[in-house]
Amino acid sequence: MKARSFRLPDLSAAEERAQAEALFNSIGDGVITTDEFGKITRINPAGLKILGYKESEILDKWFPQKIVAVDNEGKSINLIDRPITKAFLGGQSISERMYYRKKNGDTVPVSITVSPMILNNRPIGAVEVFRDITVEFEIDRMKSEFISLASHQLRTPLSAIKTYAHMLIDGYMGDITSAQRKSLQTVLVAANRMNELISTLLNITRIESGSITVTPKHVNLQKIIEEIIKELDHTALAKEVTLSLHVTTKQVSVKTDPLIIKEIISNLISNAIKYTPEHGSVTVKLYSRGKHTLICVEDTGFGIPKPAQAQIFTKFFRAQNVVRRETSGTGLGLYLVHGLTEQIGGKVWFESEEDKGTSFYLSLPRGTTSVSPRKSTTVKADSTPQPS
Amino acid sequence: MANILIVEDDTDLNAAYKVILENEKHTVKSAFNGQEALDLLKDFEPDLILLDLLMPIMGGLEFLQNYELQEKHPKVKVLIFTNMENSPEVNEAYKLGAHRCIIKSWTAPQNLARVIADALEEKPATV
Repeated sequence: MKARSFRLPDLSAAEERAQAEALFNSIGDGVITTDEFGKITRINPAGLKILGYKESEILDKWFPQKIVAVDNEGKSINLIDRPITKAFLGGQSISERMYYRKKNGDTVPVSITVSPMILNNRPIGAVEVFRDITVEFEIDRMKSEFISLASHQLRTPLSAIKTYAHMLIDGYMGDITSAQRKSLQTVLVAANRMNELISTLLNITRIESGSITVTPKHVNLQKIIEEIIKELDHTALAKEVTLSLHVTTKQVSVKTDPLIIKEIISNLISNAIKYTPEHGSVTVKLYSRGKHTLICVEDTGFGIPKPAQAQIFTKFFRAQNVVRRETSGTGLGLYLVHGLTEQIGGKVWFESEEDKGTSFYLSLPRGTTSVSPRKSTTVKADSTPQPS
Repeated sequence: MANILIVEDDTDLNAAYKVILENEKHTVKSAFNGQEALDLLKDFEPDLILLDLLMPIMGGLEFLQNYELQEKHPKVKVLIFTNMENSPEVNEAYKLGAHRCIIKSWTAPQNLARVIADALEEKPATV
């Protein structure tokens, strides 16, 4: 007897369409599709609800014109900076957060992912999925407010301790003995450590909650490095570590957040001093590579053992070779450096050999650091140059 | 030397800054919130105001709005002296005309005296 073969019946084209239609209409996030010219071809009910439009008001309209995107100050975002434009031009998915202007003029914070539809290597349209993140924004705002308040409350007593200890040392209240001076300096060192810890924890909380504020300004990197070296020179001197700066570029100015970049560089240099034994050296190099300005912090320190290298930027991680020698670290410094560098659109990496030393590289684009309402992620290939 | 107004709600810090700045031969007045500062400014013309942001009754930002720094007192330098590092409040203070922001817990008395001297000499704010 001939065996019979059974197969499921093929869905008809009409059934497939009905299935796709039901799927499209039941998605909880807004979905918009466009043709290759950016004209809106479809929008689902969730999208209409978020934006407050009727379908007839939005179909066939040019996407960037009909759906106005604004930044956190209410300024329209340029066409070239819109995710849909970037997705079309780059041919890759883009995820960002921004605000959309609703039909009634109100703005709504949205998390967007735009993907180009590619056929035969040519974009034939785009799909945008967007979600109303008003509640997340409100939670972020409250978190940010709490962080600010906590920072203020923790530091106020610390400021008084430090100010009065300094005043006593500086003789504002009369002469003191050398033993008293030594004791007060111990108070100051401890207060400074506490202060650094508060700063680090607050910055980490800000990064993790996405509530860090990036305010780009024209920053002279050479000046900032010189200032940090001046601040850390006494620490290096105490260990007889030579601390120097070599500038081989005229492109010392970048547009970035001055406080964040200072925190990053300061962490890298103080780390290098900390993990370099006596009579060693820490050399900071400032140079250019294409459209990037690079900073290299090179030390003759303990180095990072090969097995530890993959984890060096993770939270609370400390390599075994330094735990044995230096007990005061928290394992938060490089985690913070990595997080802050991402926030300003830079890149950080290192080369290291145990017992020979480490070079940390920080690369910053000289152009504008983008400022978005919150952290934005662009899914595209990294073009940051690596050291040769 | 200059006329300086300290606006700081923490009495210990307010007293300390007064000692430091008087030691530099400045004429110093103290207020403990924004409202007290506005009252004091009716009879006192400062060259520089050292302003805390988070204070009871009237905070630093509200003080700047009421004082109309940019519109009515463009020559007065306002240094924000706060512990709210890298916060939206600091950005707002800059928008309202503040000259520079200093983090209290990072600033030793000698540095405070230097920063104030620089501001009074119109030196551009260094980061």
